[in-house]
Amino acid sequence: MKTIKNLSILAVALVVTFAVGCKKDDDTPTPSTGGGGTPPQEEEVITTLILTFVDTAGVQPNVQYAFRDPDGDGGNAPTQHDTIRLAANTYYNASVQLLNEAESPAEDITLEVQNEDDEHLFCYAPSNTNVSIARTDSDGTYEVGITSFWSTGAIANGETTVTLKHQPGVKDGTCAPGDTDIEVTFQTEIQ
Amino acid sequence: MHFAKLVFVWLLVHMVVGGYSQNNCNYTLKGKIIDEHDKSALEYATLYIKELEIGAVSDIRGNYKITGLCKGTFTVVVKHVGCSPITESVSISKNTIHNFYPEHHSEELIEFSIQEEGYKEERTVAKKELSAKEMNQSRGKSLGESLKSITGVNTLNTGNSISKPVIHGLHSDRVLVLNNGIRQEGQQWGNEHAPEIDPYIADKLSVIKGADGIRYGANAIAGVVLVEPANLRDSAGVNGALNFGGASNGRLGVTSAILNGNVGKLNGLSWRLQGTLKRLGNVRTPDYYLKNTALKEYNFSWALGYNKERFGVEVFYSQFNTDIGIFSAAHIGNLTDLQRAIEADEPLESAEFTYEINRPFQHIEHELFKAKAYLKTWDIGQLDFVYARQYNLREEYDKHLPRNDSIAALNLPELQFEITTHIGEVAWKQNRNHAFNTQIGVSTIQQANTLEGRDFIPAFVKYSTGAYLIEKWRSKNLKFELETGVRYDYIFQEVYKWNNWIREYETYTYTYNNVSGSVGAIYKPTSEFSARVNFGMAWRPPNVSELFADGLHHGAAAVEYGDTNLVAERAYNTIAAIDFEHNKFLFQLEGYYNRINNFIYLRPTLPATLTIKGAFPTFNYSQVEAALTGFDFSTKYEFAKNVTWTGKTSFLWAYNLTENDWLVGMPANRFKNSLAYKFADLPKLKEPYIALGVESVFEQKLVPNNSDYVDPPSAYNLMTLGVGFSIPTYKKQQLVVDFGINNLLNTVYRDYLNRFRYYADELGRNYTINLKLTF
Repeated sequence: MKTIKNLSILAVALVVTFAVGCKKDDDTPTPSTGGGGTPPQEEEVITTLILTFVDTAGVQPNVQYAFRDPDGDGGNAPTQHDTIRLAANTYYNASVQLLNEAESPAEDITLEVQNEDDEHLFCYAPSNTNVSIARTDSDGTYEVGITSFWSTGAIANGETTVTLKHQPGVKDGTCAPGDTDIEVTFQTEIQ
Repeated sequence: MHFAKLVFVWLLVHMVVGGYSQNNCNYTLKGKIIDEHDKSALEYATLYIKELEIGAVSDIRGNYKITGLCKGTFTVVVKHVGCSPITESVSISKNTIHNFYPEHHSEELIEFSIQEEGYKEERTVAKKELSAKEMNQSRGKSLGESLKSITGVNTLNTGNSISKPVIHGLHSDRVLVLNNGIRQEGQQWGNEHAPEIDPYIADKLSVIKGADGIRYGANAIAGVVLVEPANLRDSAGVNGALNFGGASNGRLGVTSAILNGNVGKLNGLSWRLQGTLKRLGNVRTPDYYLKNTALKEYNFSWALGYNKERFGVEVFYSQFNTDIGIFSAAHIGNLTDLQRAIEADEPLESAEFTYEINRPFQHIEHELFKAKAYLKTWDIGQLDFVYARQYNLREEYDKHLPRNDSIAALNLPELQFEITTHIGEVAWKQNRNHAFNTQIGVSTIQQANTLEGRDFIPAFVKYSTGAYLIEKWRSKNLKFELETGVRYDYIFQEVYKWNNWIREYETYTYTYNNVSGSVGAIYKPTSEFSARVNFGMAWRPPNVSELFADGLHHGAAAVEYGDTNLVAERAYNTIAAIDFEHNKFLFQLEGYYNRINNFIYLRPTLPATLTIKGAFPTFNYSQVEAALTGFDFSTKYEFAKNVTWTGKTSFLWAYNLTENDWLVGMPANRFKNSLAYKFADLPKLKEPYIALGVESVFEQKLVPNNSDYVDPPSAYNLMTLGVGFSIPTYKKQQLVVDFGINNLLNTVYRDYLNRFRYYADELGRNYTINLKLTF
């Protein structure tokens, strides 16, 4: 009787184990396909930040300045890191564009930031530049900063740091909370 | 004809057996006197052989020895304070180990086992093992944390739930973990990858080095961690244990059950079922909760064995599954974020208690299947055949979902590894009846790794083959022993690395082959004193992470580059130890000098790497000459009856000889002192004790300048209190109860070997309870 009981416990154990057990890795590594057959990919890559400046008076020509690191973080050094050059005593409407140029065609990350504008905030920190910068767009409650208004003063030489904060659930209109997705410092010349 | 065959076999067997059973009077009977209930060693128990009117007294570890016995059957009487005397009949036909299990209440028959081998295995580097009591007190903790009670073992932690064993300053690929005799093959290279093993499987946890470590592979530069389940039942019946553990901090609940059986009618068929469920919520430092530090785990295993006198087979299967929340505030975007986190007194993300696990988290599965068969080769040895398959799945979920909604909706891990390993082994071990003892074996491993998601560690296949020979010798008077082992391994590895520029996979091929070895000696002039010395050589090939790391390591806020031209690391380790025990005093000192050629480490390099997230410090995997010198020291002294003081000390100096500087990331020096008081037994309360412990950890000052974002944390003292007893329930059954309070004074501290020390304090006061019901 006891033996039968023991054996039945065993049988149940084996059945349960084989029912849930022996997991398999379906992928076989090969020289041509690597691991999973698809190239590894980074979902969150931003390779490029472009700032476009439009003179509100229409006098100065439109200008674009960029930071570009086509292979993403690490690896090769960034290929483009412009100096922002703006005319003195001028009002500019500025806009930011973010791209993932590791994809082909390039993916416009700005649209994704726009879709989640309640979780994102661009911060602009000028130093020694005689520039004041104000964000001009809103997610309904707080500013976003994809578009901004730059007013330049006298001739100066300094820096501007552009930061994109990811603030899911913690956005309060300031730059403090959240994680940093982008932080690029541009040399800035007002001339 | 048939009958003639039988007679022939019978004659043959008798000739072989007879050859070894000459009638001399030089046999030794030795073993341990062990408490039937908690399996602790009983000191000062007396043994008496009625027929010969001779006897012995067990030492502080419960060992006894009687020499000069002739062949025959003897009546042995064992007495110990508080136990009824037990009488057993023991047959001596060779050197015999026989353990006695006296009981505090004596209605039951005494079970005993006689080991076939004639002599207790000694090692030229002492095996360090958790005692039965330490095992019970550590229940509920992870494997890494459990091992911390062993002198010289620390842990490398990522938060509170991921901890890796660090032996004499070395960890990850330099420590081999043997799970039920099989080398654990997961993603061991990673600092945040803990061994995927349920500690409740283990009946014993220990660390070994020296010749026996050679058996398991080349890369045990630091040592081998053995996770050993109990043997399957060898007599008819069913027994088991039910464990429950709880802790106030994080409201931990863990329950584990084990059931062993032996089917009497099918003589020799035995089985085991085991399972564990664990749930932990957000844990708390003295001042705040840590966000997203919950954990859940479910594990099970079964084993089936069929053991006959001459042969046996055993099948084992286990599964380990866990979800581990990663402390959210430790996820940072760039250096500016890190600087803010370091400067903040409290984590920038506050939290309440919850059992919920959110992103970022890891999901890990590990599966082990093992089949083992053995065949006794007459009276001289045993041949083992082992096959094992392991499958390891590791999924890492980032803090944030992808911005793209349709991809985010899939909720896939951002990184996934799958590694499958097949191991085959054939080994032969000679019975230890003579001065010499030989072990010889070959093993082969086939491994494949694949990944999906972010490009981090490339896919690879790896084949390795090894062969070893271990030889031991001991003098006739047992005062002197030598052991030596040699091993050769050949490794072939092919790596498929994605090249983002040409958008194709590139193949890298590596072959390694080398010899590892060990030679050691033990000298035991008296039963109270022993001296050991061991010299070992070990090597390990660079791992894929060291070869191919390429880019930003988010967890470390650093850009790390591998080097595809790294060569194998090679260690020359000299260990010397003395053990002394006299009456109520025990003294163990072990010193080591581990010289490592081509030691692989992350070297900071200039300039910083500029990314769209700002500039990050850059590190390159480099090779230097390293020397790790240190000692472990433990003492035990019984002041007065029932009052025992235990002291444990570990010191380490880890030096980079190439750059004339200290090595980064080494454990700080520490002392551990504890005082235990054993109360007298009551009829319903056995072995009550109370113990107070203080662990003093120094500030790690032996670090290179400017090697870290913050200086190593200050020194700290931690107090623990433990209270326990056991309650006899029914017949042989009992309930073992251990209460504990960790961090008794609610001390605020940070530990140098916790990777989250930048962000948060360690856990505050924690009340724990462990119940174990054996039946």
